[in-house]
Amino acid sequence: MKKLSKVYIALILIFLFAPIAVLIVFSFNSGSSTSVFKGFSLHWYAELFKNAAMLNALKNSLILAISSAAISTVIGTAAAFGIHHMKKKWLRRSVMTATNIPMMNPDIITGISLMFLFVFVGTLLGLQTKLSFWTMLIAHITFSLPYVILNVLPKFRQMDKSLPEAALDLGCTPLQSFFKVQLPAILPGVFTGMIMAFTMSLDDFVISYFTSGVDFQTLPILIYSMTKKDVKPTIYALSTIIFIVILVLLLITNRERTSEERLEAKRLREEKRLRSAIAKSQKTGKPMRVKRVSESSIEVSHGRSMNLTKIIAVVCILAIIISTCLVFSVFSKRTITLNVYNWGEYISDGAEGSYDTNAEFEKYCRDELGMNVKVNYNTFSSNEDLYAKLSSNAVSYDVIIPSDYMIARLASEGYLQELDFNNIPNYEKSITDDFRGLYYDPENKYSVPYTYGMIGVIYDASRVSEDDTGSWDLMWNEKYSGQIVQYNNSRDAFGTAFYKNSWDVNTTDKSVWDKALAELQQQKPLLKKLVMDEIYNMMETGEAMIGSYYAGDYLTMLDNQADNVDLQFYYPENTNLFVDAMCIPTCAQNKTLAEEYINFMLSDDTAIANAEYICYASPHANVYNSEIYQEDMGEDAISILYPEDFDFHEKYDANCYKDLPPEMKEYLNALWIKFATE
Amino acid sequence: MTSVPKKSKVRRSLLQRYAAAPHIAWAILFIIAPLIFVAYYAFTDTVDGSVVFSIENLKTFFTPTYLKIFSRSVGLALISTVICLLLGYPIAYFISRTKPKTQRLLILLIMLPMWMNFIIRTYSISELIKDTGIINSFLGKIGIPQMHIYGKEGAVVLGMVYDYLPYMILPIYSVMAKLDYRLVEAAGDLGCNSFKVMTKVIFPLSRSGVISGITMVFVPSISTFYISQKLGGPSTLLIGDVIEQSYNASNYHLAAALSFVLMVILLIGLAVVNKYTDDDSGGMLI
Repeated sequence: MKKLSKVYIALILIFLFAPIAVLIVFSFNSGSSTSVFKGFSLHWYAELFKNAAMLNALKNSLILAISSAAISTVIGTAAAFGIHHMKKKWLRRSVMTATNIPMMNPDIITGISLMFLFVFVGTLLGLQTKLSFWTMLIAHITFSLPYVILNVLPKFRQMDKSLPEAALDLGCTPLQSFFKVQLPAILPGVFTGMIMAFTMSLDDFVISYFTSGVDFQTLPILIYSMTKKDVKPTIYALSTIIFIVILVLLLITNRERTSEERLEAKRLREEKRLRSAIAKSQKTGKPMRVKRVSESSIEVSHGRSMNLTKIIAVVCILAIIISTCLVFSVFSKRTITLNVYNWGEYISDGAEGSYDTNAEFEKYCRDELGMNVKVNYNTFSSNEDLYAKLSSNAVSYDVIIPSDYMIARLASEGYLQELDFNNIPNYEKSITDDFRGLYYDPENKYSVPYTYGMIGVIYDASRVSEDDTGSWDLMWNEKYSGQIVQYNNSRDAFGTAFYKNSWDVNTTDKSVWDKALAELQQQKPLLKKLVMDEIYNMMETGEAMIGSYYAGDYLTMLDNQADNVDLQFYYPENTNLFVDAMCIPTCAQNKTLAEEYINFMLSDDTAIANAEYICYASPHANVYNSEIYQEDMGEDAISILYPEDFDFHEKYDANCYKDLPPEMKEYLNALWIKFATE
Repeated sequence: MTSVPKKSKVRRSLLQRYAAAPHIAWAILFIIAPLIFVAYYAFTDTVDGSVVFSIENLKTFFTPTYLKIFSRSVGLALISTVICLLLGYPIAYFISRTKPKTQRLLILLIMLPMWMNFIIRTYSISELIKDTGIINSFLGKIGIPQMHIYGKEGAVVLGMVYDYLPYMILPIYSVMAKLDYRLVEAAGDLGCNSFKVMTKVIFPLSRSGVISGITMVFVPSISTFYISQKLGGPSTLLIGDVIEQSYNASNYHLAAALSFVLMVILLIGLAVVNKYTDDDSGGMLI
């Protein structure tokens, strides 16, 4: 039995630690995969310390966790004191019920409800930025409070009631009695509560997801957006470091506690000896003899509470410093922040020695314009994501890069500002007529094209027969059941069914959409997963054999494919063409600087660096004509991105997505939910 | 002489009376008020830019499509909770029977994974169980048939069990650790066999821990959206996913309506559960 229980405990621990072991092992991978181990290297640790976004998110997480833990500890401890002394039972019960709500309610509801409140109040106050560090701080304090109260309250209950009374009788003021007598007694509870508040805040994703603004990204949120794409072992490296720090901290506290316990046991033994000695002396009538009464135990418990006081004081001071700095930084706006909102993996960001667009722009502003600018770069994973953020009126961006149909929608709903092309002189030099006057912006008022491209089908030629390729039918081929991935996005997923049957993707005829749904439902049993950017990882590792995605992304996958995978690509007879373009939303706080940024993106060097990094076709004339670009990309890639004898204008008009009328959008949403459930 | 304690009594009650005030204000502003907003958005709809009263979105919850999603969520959450209980109860019992020093170390080890970011842990699971993942490539090498659970409901359950198992173990353990073992010995002396000791003594005494363990696993399981997104496939959509999707599709009224119904159902459930546990100290986490 004993042995069995040991084996069982070991098995559960293996289960709990297996994923963490994987994470630690792969953080030392010399390859860039998180599932195939190539060899030992510290490469990703070096990358980590160069990754400004990740370090910044870590810093933000720590700032938030320390401030929210300190504030909730103070409010929560006072609250526990008050609740403990409440006379009215109904009051105490209702306060406790309200306190417990955030613990009992699913996080997603707590998050959404707070978001509603912040947006509503922000609108009332006419704030441009409704979600920010402050809203996150409030949210984190809110869900941490119950943990503090529930840890402190029992300590008040356990405390000897006569102690504070004695203190008062001896002339203490109530405040003195609280700080000198009660606080030391409840300190262990306060400490546990604070630690829990700290870790809850550090680890929280769901509530932060709904209450965070653009200018304050915490680590879990950054990790979330990263796991939607290709995860690089850099995150593993960071997690490993965090894991080791926590492990060491826990082991130290555990050892301290153990040694304390030893002393406590010693004290108990001595007390017992003392008692038996007393009893003996009473029986025998002889004077009692006790070797030595240790006072160390008293000192220790006192010393521990002193330690805790110190720790709590340090945390509070840190929190005060941080909040002062924040307040200071809010009022002294010496640096200008430019909020840029773009697709994931859609800019050359300095990773692995590439050109760091945003850093270069900051440098340009400093050297040429004499301005201290900080680019705050955020990513979204679909046009609908972007729309949700913009229409919630909760955040403000200066530059956004949506796709064509979304630009049409945003412009028609009044979310976009007209650009002042005097501030964007590079436009004239670089954007040819091919990319002007397209349907989504017929008068060239709102947008400057950034990339364009076509959707195609990607397959693993090592397992997919060449004869089956060439058309959309491949994605409906039962031979490859369980190996196909489809878009996790209504418009694109329905698009594949439309193009397969050569239907008009912008039709308002509901019966055609119903037919498309039938097509998708027929395909569903063959699907492995609905994906957006997760497709990179799934295709590269051979996890899926067939999927449809953008030509530029295929080129990126090609660079990272596993040894046993042979990715190939083709354009089916009908397929989607798109243009992604830079725009300035009405909520922008710094329009001139945003135009400066757009102009910078159009400068030849930047445009070439970005086109090479993201591998999408560039509408910039000087990119295509650049010899360096042609050479770096290679002939194969160029022939995929820029097919010969290709009339862009004509093809585009026939095959692009257009903004659907509202009732069609709603219908599409209903169909999509139907597809996802049935 | 007598007036001094009297005076201090008045002052003391002042401090005691107002110590909880900031928290009460906070709770009203940031716990109660937001829930009112959820109800407000749930019972309204935006028509042509103006907000009108409507129960259309609430009705959506009760259409077959959404009921199916909801019952799937309940089903998967229940399965995960039961598995967590079956795995967690014995380990909580075994740990509580070890030496205090070992106990503390083991509990520390159980809690340690909770301190790691749950997103990265869930991602790491997907890397383990994918068809081309670590486990399967290992199985492939030694010639054992591979397991294909990635993208299926089994993977979602695995993810939930993995992420929330510590939430089951800890409250049960904290009750077990306080359990008076002399009662077990007495039952044995009075002729109970070990099975009876378990069902008649240990289990009833640890009930409060079990119940808070069940709530702490069930509530996050039923409302999760990341686990099903990351480990699930085309047919594992959960109610949390739909709420997140409607939030992302800017359909706040629908998101609110779904959240509202989910919340009401859970609150009723919790109230029923709490009725059967009179122990108000519970076995709350640690």
